[in-house]
Amino acid sequence: MRIYEVFLKADGKEEFRHAGSIEAPTDELALVLARENYARRAEGTHMWVVDRENICVSEDGFIDANLNKPHRHNDGERVAKWRKSQRNKKSDD
Amino acid sequence: MIKSVLPSEIKEYLLAFADDEHLMGQQHTEWIGIAPFLEEDMAFASIGQDELGHASMLYALILEDSSEIDAFIFNRKPEEWRSCQLVESNHRNWEEALIRHWCYDMAEDLRWELFRESSLPELVLISERALKEEKYHRQHADALVENLLTVPASQSRLTKALEEIVPEVVELFSSIPGETEAISSGLVSGKYCDVFSTWRSRVENRFGTLDSKLFTTSDHQSRTKRHSDFGPLYGRIREVFLLDPKAVW
Repeated sequence: MRIYEVFLKADGKEEFRHAGSIEAPTDELALVLARENYARRAEGTHMWVVDRENICVSEDGFIDANLNKPHRHNDGERVAKWRKSQRNKKSDD
Repeated sequence: MIKSVLPSEIKEYLLAFADDEHLMGQQHTEWIGIAPFLEEDMAFASIGQDELGHASMLYALILEDSSEIDAFIFNRKPEEWRSCQLVESNHRNWEEALIRHWCYDMAEDLRWELFRESSLPELVLISERALKEEKYHRQHADALVENLLTVPASQSRLTKALEEIVPEVVELFSSIPGETEAISSGLVSGKYCDVFSTWRSRVENRFGTLDSKLFTTSDHQSRTKRHSDFGPLYGRIREVFLLDPKAVW
């Protein structure tokens, strides 16, 4: 038996989302079993099943070497405030 | 659209199909929680629910009122059922349940195909809907069987189960009360037994040539007789209903 990850996509512009995982002996049975386990109530219109062996997994710390990065979080508040004050100044003139 | 009242022979004919679907669905769903692995017990029960859905559409057509279905199911006398022995018998182990699923679903789409050009528009819609689902039921059964046949121990268990079950499937195809009237009125395009050879080829293509004796049946009247397993099966179906027969669900 192999483990497969199951992804479903609802109709329209929705992206594929992880629905769960499933154990199956072959690709075909993974598709058939995933259909009944995860999509029997019309949860989606498209499905991917991916053998977990084929997923490239990053090593620990690969993406979270440093979680504290305030310099990358710019919500634009200060710029918006400055531009608003400039606009107000113009209308006062 | 005003529904025409169906003649009693036609109702009798459709009832055989509805009862087969109902009891097959019931038997499949009973594997929830006890099938060999989690994914399969969910999948098998889900396929059973599809069959219950088909039964419910056929019952609604026969009764002309879907609100009457529950009363019709739960209060019917055993002799008023028209199911075949295959769906009434209690297959206790997994290989028998799987082989019955394979055999029944390989026969079921052939049955729905006969309604594709029915004179009754509702039946055309129901058959189209059922056929879409049946494609995946067959794929499920066949992919499992194909896989298990590669393991010698599984192969011998499946073959033994097949030899037990094939004679019961043969009886599923035997003439159904009301079939002549159903054909002459255009409700159905032909006799179910005429597609038996297609079913037999499917069996022998998958499992190899079987003893011809397995494909003959001695009893052609068994839809009016109940299998000895019917009583306990009907008991399980009515278990909750009988707690309070007057309850409104």
